[in-house]
Amino acid sequence: MYLIRKIRSQFNSWALLSVIFSILILLPALLIMVQLFAGSNENWEHIKEFMLKNYIVNSVTLVSFTGLFTVLIGVSAAWLISAYKVPMHRFFKWGLILPLAIPPYIGAYTYHGILNYTGVIQTTLRNQFGIKVDQKFFDIMNIPGAVFIFTMFLYPYVYIITRSFLENQSSSLIENARLLGKGSFMTFTQVVLPVSRAAIVGGVSLVILEVFNDYGVVKYFGIQTFSTAIFQAWFGMGDIYSAIKLAGTLMLIVVLILILEKVIRGRKQYSYSTSKVRPLQPKELKGWKKFAVLSFFISLFALAFGIPFIQLIHWVYMTYDVILNTAFVDLIWNSIFVAAIGSVIIIIVALIIANFSRLSKGWMGKLFSKITVLGYSIPGAVIAIGVLTLFLSLDEKVFTVYEWLGLEPTLVLSLSISMLIFAYVVRFLAVGFNSIESGFDKVGTVFTEASRTLGMSVTKTFFKVDIKMIKGAIAGGFILVFVDILKELPLTLILQPFNFYTLATKTFQYASDERIHEASVSSMVIICISALSIFFLHRVLEKEPK
Amino acid sequence: MFKKNIFTAVVMVLLAALVLAGCGKSNEGASSSDNDAKKEEKKSGEVNLYTSRHYDVDDKIFADFTKETGIKVNLIKGEEDELIERLSREGKATKGDLFFTSDAGRLHWAKDKDLLQSVESDTLNNNIPENLRDKDNQWFGLTKRARVIVFDKKKVDESELSTYEALTEDKWKGKVLIRSSENIYNQSLVSSFVSLNGKDEAKKWAEGIVNNMARDPQGGDRDQAKGIVAGEGDVAIMNSYYFGQMLNSEDPEEVKVAKQLSVFFPNQETTGTHINISGIGVTKHAKNKENAIKLMEYLSSPEVQKVFAEANYEYPVNKEVEPSELLRSWGKFKEQDLNLSELGENNADAVKIMNEVSWK
Repeated sequence: MYLIRKIRSQFNSWALLSVIFSILILLPALLIMVQLFAGSNENWEHIKEFMLKNYIVNSVTLVSFTGLFTVLIGVSAAWLISAYKVPMHRFFKWGLILPLAIPPYIGAYTYHGILNYTGVIQTTLRNQFGIKVDQKFFDIMNIPGAVFIFTMFLYPYVYIITRSFLENQSSSLIENARLLGKGSFMTFTQVVLPVSRAAIVGGVSLVILEVFNDYGVVKYFGIQTFSTAIFQAWFGMGDIYSAIKLAGTLMLIVVLILILEKVIRGRKQYSYSTSKVRPLQPKELKGWKKFAVLSFFISLFALAFGIPFIQLIHWVYMTYDVILNTAFVDLIWNSIFVAAIGSVIIIIVALIIANFSRLSKGWMGKLFSKITVLGYSIPGAVIAIGVLTLFLSLDEKVFTVYEWLGLEPTLVLSLSISMLIFAYVVRFLAVGFNSIESGFDKVGTVFTEASRTLGMSVTKTFFKVDIKMIKGAIAGGFILVFVDILKELPLTLILQPFNFYTLATKTFQYASDERIHEASVSSMVIICISALSIFFLHRVLEKEPK
Repeated sequence: MFKKNIFTAVVMVLLAALVLAGCGKSNEGASSSDNDAKKEEKKSGEVNLYTSRHYDVDDKIFADFTKETGIKVNLIKGEEDELIERLSREGKATKGDLFFTSDAGRLHWAKDKDLLQSVESDTLNNNIPENLRDKDNQWFGLTKRARVIVFDKKKVDESELSTYEALTEDKWKGKVLIRSSENIYNQSLVSSFVSLNGKDEAKKWAEGIVNNMARDPQGGDRDQAKGIVAGEGDVAIMNSYYFGQMLNSEDPEEVKVAKQLSVFFPNQETTGTHINISGIGVTKHAKNKENAIKLMEYLSSPEVQKVFAEANYEYPVNKEVEPSELLRSWGKFKEQDLNLSELGENNADAVKIMNEVSWK
């Protein structure tokens, strides 16, 4: 009785919608997971005996080193940019986020193209200076190479979260440390690192999930990890059971990491203690220090954005006349279209669930907020097959309706873009949700409660008060999701409808035919659209009331 | 009241998004939810293809086919294994009429999963040699490629090369370049050895190659060729058409690399050089079977074969058609005497063998 009353007390249309969305998101995962408990078979024994150790070692090595380096680079860049003023400060502030516009798989193709035997560096050395180099020094298609690629194109996750924390929330602590005569190094290690721990962990766990989920880079470099193993077992051996066992193992690791994240973050929450938070004022740097910081920024920007970007421009110049045609315009339109629709839906769903989960003190709200993260921790290909299974069974359900109408039974849902968009929602809801949840966290529930006390309903409060206070978070979430969908690969490859290509799938097709030069045009468009979006994101974050 | 409105509003937005998505789709011409009449009209004139080949020449040929016959060709381009999975999940409701991919093993696998159907066509039987099509005519080879040895003319004398097996001798220790075992062309190569020489010999070969590798497998076929010129190894195993592509690359450096190398067709005195195909089959539940067969016949016709094969430096399967000048300059060669179905039958064994000998 108590339970029922408890549930009823939490129940309203917000709850209802949250329940519906959560179930929809859970379904594809569940359809896959029921098979996790099937008994082992010959293939699984084979995988366990010869390969599993290798997968674990490779995946864990990639994740640990990438995690370490993204923290080192991301945090020091965030600290230096928020504490010191160097020439071109305003440019670097957002320029250092730009690498996020380059999907790691495109980064991998491009760097391999630069470094290999016919790449620009070796060619120049050979033809201009007659130097022939040992290939070992230019070999990027291995684990250290992959760590380099991931670090360069994923560190902005750590950078962006840490920087916005440092800028907005730590000024009094840091200024006190400075007043008390601590040098910059001491301030960094003794004040900055401990207080920004939560932000750093938040950023690096995004990096880790991205690395675990990556398929493009490791496949291209020939590194066997969990995600390539899932593909190989499922599609290569035709063994869905082993694939799901692998996916299940991966999910287990991911869940452990998420728990670890909660533990490390601990109970320490740094939120506004007063309504006025002064942003941190950067100090002028002088002498060699200025030079050192500036060269750090320049080399980071060059490696993570400038160099690959210039190489791509050169390739675009080589191939644009073959690639650019009217079909290419469709490609751009398709990509923007699905990304925009997907992002809008994700933001709406995220707003509903986040608002419900923050206002309901009960377990239901907490549970829903956990469910949204699920999709982000499952490899895209696994989600794709789950969604396909779901939509096919829906299609079969409506067969009878068609027959009754006198039509021939045919696939409607599972050949439509709605399936693809639904899969995007499952996969990327977490990205939008996190942004909106942190927006809600910042404002707290004080204003909502005030509005409720004044007699407005939850829904009215939501539109009149809440939504206006988190505009920045909504815009930020939208842009992040938009860029993610634009770059998405494995899921789009599996679920695309007839005659429907996106920039990402086109890039992959050329790259998998070893035609890297031809892949450059679509890569370039992805990067430019993403870069523009990131620029807007930066503007949004800048404008947000401090 | 207001609450209800919001609820409806949200539902409306979601529905609108779905409808929009649907509209976008029908603009693409792949509609399935249109009204009856339109459907009838389209039915007479389309064929739906699941393809893992993404060469631009394919699109051009399909466009020509549409021009000639009025039959529209709709495409889903993906990776072969995922397309097979999708076909099998769609079952009898599938809209796919044809499955087109570039490996005989995968075609056989599709057949094995009961996704294809037999086709009786004299045109196809005349145009395509028996060993390049399925025993039950469930799939047909359309273009042919050889997995050859490529070597540096300056470092290796052609007389030193003989067979795939010879590459496992000590002489080649640290000198053989080949890509990873995840690659389907390598899997099919090992499959062919399982067929011709038995599992044990095939495993011995794979072990020998792993021992003689110049470096851990990495990159694609083109990277193996570059590895030779860069001095990492002396010989590389790669598909013939990649070598053709490099010779004709828009990147002058790649052309330079290719020009330093030569092609060698191994096992001429023994079992023959390993060949593979791009092939096509009608799906079991094809809704446009007639159009599908028309397209297959079109693709096997001499005029199309010429363009089809030449654009990608592959060998035409139609015996009436001469290979391109470049391929002719490499000379004629003896092929493995094998029905290509066997590549698929032995694929699982091949994958396991390669894993067991730690072929990365």
